[in-house]
Amino acid sequence: MADHDLTLDDVRGMAADIGMTRLNDTQLQELLRAAGAARARRASLHTEMLHYADEPSHVFQLNDGGRP
Amino acid sequence: MSATDDLAWLTVAAAAELLRAKKLSPVEYTQALIARGERHDKHYNAYLRATPDIALADARRAESEIQRGEWRGPFHGVPYGLKDIVDYAGLPTTAHSKILQDNIANADAVVTQKLRAAGGVFMGKLSTHEFATGGPSFDLPWLPARNPWNRDHFCGGSSSGSGTATAAGFLPAAIGTDTGGSVRNPATMCGIIGMKATYGLVSRRGVVPLAYSLDHVGTLTRTVRDNALMLDLIAGHDALDPGSVNRAAGGYTGQLGRDIRGLRIGVLRHFYTRDMQADAEMAASIDGAAKQLGELGAVVSEVSTAPLGEYLAVNRTILTSEAFAVHEKWLRERPQDYGALARERIMAGAFVRAADYVNATRLRRKLTHAFHALFEQVDVIVTASAMDPACRIDDEKAVDYTYGRQARAPFNVTGSPALSVPTGFTQSGLPLGMQLVGKPFSEALLYRVAYAYEQAMPWANKHPDLR
Repeated sequence: MADHDLTLDDVRGMAADIGMTRLNDTQLQELLRAAGAARARRASLHTEMLHYADEPSHVFQLNDGGRP
Repeated sequence: MSATDDLAWLTVAAAAELLRAKKLSPVEYTQALIARGERHDKHYNAYLRATPDIALADARRAESEIQRGEWRGPFHGVPYGLKDIVDYAGLPTTAHSKILQDNIANADAVVTQKLRAAGGVFMGKLSTHEFATGGPSFDLPWLPARNPWNRDHFCGGSSSGSGTATAAGFLPAAIGTDTGGSVRNPATMCGIIGMKATYGLVSRRGVVPLAYSLDHVGTLTRTVRDNALMLDLIAGHDALDPGSVNRAAGGYTGQLGRDIRGLRIGVLRHFYTRDMQADAEMAASIDGAAKQLGELGAVVSEVSTAPLGEYLAVNRTILTSEAFAVHEKWLRERPQDYGALARERIMAGAFVRAADYVNATRLRRKLTHAFHALFEQVDVIVTASAMDPACRIDDEKAVDYTYGRQARAPFNVTGSPALSVPTGFTQSGLPLGMQLVGKPFSEALLYRVAYAYEQAMPWANKHPDLR
């Protein structure tokens, strides 16, 4: 996703790329706001705190039967 | 006050004593609460689907069992409700959404099984925010629940009906769910007790997911003891819930009544004074509650952790990503069947990059580790639940502004047990509250501290005057 300010047309194209082709203009405006909120949130993730060895909180584990 | 009103404010513990001693008929008790709901709920919308026929059948069964001396325990003959994302076999689980309005549950959720096995009286399905995220909304098939203390005001969410019904005296106990604070928010807004126990302590099987790794099932009651009784009933390992913890559960009433002298209470003030500035009455009530705990003999000090915003960013990144994974198909095929709020909030996960989601889970591990290390210094943490008292429900800007002003989501990130406890009322009569947070599986200790505070400051004895 590019870092420039998204437009309604950008979002329409992005939505189409993931199969969300039935959104009307009002719903695309919602998606535009939602995408903006997600981008702002990304900036709040302090990834500079992470070392490459820091693992995700979801750790894949198996039990004795081999089931996750 | 009428006899019906007296029954409305019975606690689970008090009702259980009367029922067991055959001094109260489960049928009369249930009839009184049904009548109260029918009289008032048209103004409060707590019930999405009241089930008086089921309730009366449950009550009659309980009555005959108790008459035969087959008392099953403290929920036998006691009314309860379920947030309508929790399955009750044979009834629709709608998630308050047009998307699922014909979704008939073919089995009980695990928590439902436990409440039914305990002889509880099922009063109905309770309002939620759409899919536990989109509300309060006026563009759904059912209206949003309103605050019993002032019906022009928001009751919190997403376990809105659970909060409203319990605070309004329609029932003494309800089940809610909590992914970013959705049990504790209505508890705070409605002036009752709301517990989000440690992640994995209560099975989520049979509950519509919002975000798998953050979802918790929780308990809403008017008193601390009732909450502990309800958690005793629903906690426990479920091998078919992948998040369930395989360890002994229960004993949550065991520490009630023990004093709190010498307990170390850490006040996490920067969440509500620096990271976000809470409303003055809210902040003063939390500080006052911490002082009260000190007067009860606890050793109170201030503690600090990462800024609140870091926890919230992690919670929202994970929540929206996992929620979008649940909803992608419906959003492609039936976007018009969502309310605007749920659609926008869930679509926020559409373009979260995979790396951001993974990094959020990496940060989650670090935050959790650092937060739990605080419990080497203190036993229990006090902080805000909501930053603001309930705003008007019809004020979209105020709802939008206050929705994210909260300190509950950090403990969905860390999985810690967190309990919302009333701390008084604003000058305009709206509830205020605090949160008590502990290390994993310290629910009994949280109840002990909350109970000591409740005995000293009995806000639970004050009830809304429904009009």
